[in-house]
Amino acid sequence: MLSAVDIEKSFPYEDAEVKVLKGVTVHLDEGDYVAIVGRSGSGKTTLLNVLSTLVRPDNGLLTYEGADLSSAAEKELNEIRRADFSVIFQFHHLLPYLSVLENTLLPFMGTLRPVSGQLQQRALDCLDRVGLADKARRLPGSLSGGEQQRVAIARALVKSSKILFADEPTGSLDRTTGEQIMELLAELHGEGLTIVMVTLERAFAQLARRTIEIEDGLIIH
Amino acid sequence: MNIVTIPLRNMRRKPAKTLLLLTVFLLGVISIVALYQVSLVVGHSLEKKLTAFGANIVVKPSTEKLSVSYGGFHMGDMLLDVKDLRETETTTAIRSIELNDRISVVAPKLVNMFRVDEVAVAVVGVRWEQEIGIKSYWATDGTIPERSDQILLGVLAARKLGLGTGDLLTLKDRQFEISGVLYETGSDDDSVILMDLSTLQALVAQPEAVSFVEVAALCAGCPIEDIVAQIQTNLPKTSVIALQNVVNQRMSSVRFVQKLALSISLVILITASAMVGLSMVSAVNERKKDIGILRSLGYGKKRVFLIFCLEAAIIGGLAGTLGYLAGFGISLKALEYLGLTDVARPLFSVTQLAFCGLVFPLITVLSALYPAWKGSSIEPSQALVSL
Repeated sequence: MLSAVDIEKSFPYEDAEVKVLKGVTVHLDEGDYVAIVGRSGSGKTTLLNVLSTLVRPDNGLLTYEGADLSSAAEKELNEIRRADFSVIFQFHHLLPYLSVLENTLLPFMGTLRPVSGQLQQRALDCLDRVGLADKARRLPGSLSGGEQQRVAIARALVKSSKILFADEPTGSLDRTTGEQIMELLAELHGEGLTIVMVTLERAFAQLARRTIEIEDGLIIH
Repeated sequence: MNIVTIPLRNMRRKPAKTLLLLTVFLLGVISIVALYQVSLVVGHSLEKKLTAFGANIVVKPSTEKLSVSYGGFHMGDMLLDVKDLRETETTTAIRSIELNDRISVVAPKLVNMFRVDEVAVAVVGVRWEQEIGIKSYWATDGTIPERSDQILLGVLAARKLGLGTGDLLTLKDRQFEISGVLYETGSDDDSVILMDLSTLQALVAQPEAVSFVEVAALCAGCPIEDIVAQIQTNLPKTSVIALQNVVNQRMSSVRFVQKLALSISLVILITASAMVGLSMVSAVNERKKDIGILRSLGYGKKRVFLIFCLEAAIIGGLAGTLGYLAGFGISLKALEYLGLTDVARPLFSVTQLAFCGLVFPLITVLSALYPAWKGSSIEPSQALVSL
């Protein structure tokens, strides 16, 4: 489904280039649930960003359903991010001035055509699924960290995303809330959603079908 | 719920900032609209006042001039085939041109020479109402003639004839009372006798005859050449001459007022646009996180660019529409204060309102183009650093 072969990525740091990924190869199958673990600065988030097309690799081949994404045009990548991929971040995953419902529908608000009533109903259903239907009109600032994460997950559900990329989704949450989020991800995976998750928590990583351990830009396990 | 919701909600999030930006641009639009409306009326008033100091177009019969010399003796220039104009036909033709609303006064005249006690003097027949319309500077020691047996003397003519106000004067066996003597004007009027046109036409047995017609045209926004051309079309057998120096002098005064208003408006507009641009620069820097989220959701550069432009357009649209309404109201008050409402009143125009509602958003969008482009050029990876 999604393959990354010999991926290399460097970032400028002061006067030098720091190589963050040094030839990483990952293959994701449909319905996969992969946890990427490693120490801070090992390159986990960069790998997730490359896989989710938010960062272009310097070298290597990234393919999605047979199409080469490493050299794809910006327009193609936007379309894939809009339709097939969803990303949830540790912080700031919602626009603070849009309501919960509007944040959930954000992927469909990119044109002058109003979002249909059918889509709005679907968004409400997805919010209901994550237990937030009664907070659809509220602003994100009035929600807890766990609730905000659930809104981001609801957004992925509305899109019917094929792959959900989660960058430390429990990183800013307390243990109990973190467990609730992990339960929700497990439930969605059970329904066929492919998940790639970066986490520092070994216990949460064990909930995934398989774990990739990365160290100093290389996969060691 | 569509892409417009995003900038609208963002503006609502920071009402004080939005209100400040809107106020700055609104003040700019109000000033521009008020200045424009006031300058139009002031220009019109100025032009009306200037029109009172003479005509700017002369219509006279076509003539052929012949310079005669014979045997080394120069006999001067001779006018051939001089035919007087017909009064009704000529004035009606002038009044019926397409730009007739720009014509304020049509003053026909008949000139004839008479001898009064062996003194040669020119008598000019005029329509008093029209004549006073273009010579409001006239002042007399008596009154302007009200009856057909009354006449008005120029100061030099009165001196030459040794006559004054209240005296009687006989012309072709008909007696006239001098109702007044004009104070010195410095013009040809000082040397002539002025009387009612119909009376003179009857006296010389030339009913309907006029020697020439003076026309005062208002010319703000219309070239005098167009009026001249239209009169010439209606009166092909006449010679229509624009007194360009008079026209230019008047127009330069009117244009000065309009240019001043335009210059001030431009300064205000540039300042307000700079404020919008600066505000957008800070908005882009503040909203890198938002850009990152939008890019991760598949929003392309064009859509991010559109969001910033829409925000600027909303400010411009509101300022343009409200600014026109407020500016129009303020111009009415300003004209009342200046005591110019009796001259003309600004006319509320839906077209102008629509123009403001469309052009000012365009200006704010232009001001926001660079920051919007900068914002949309931020790569998701750059924006993600903020997350």
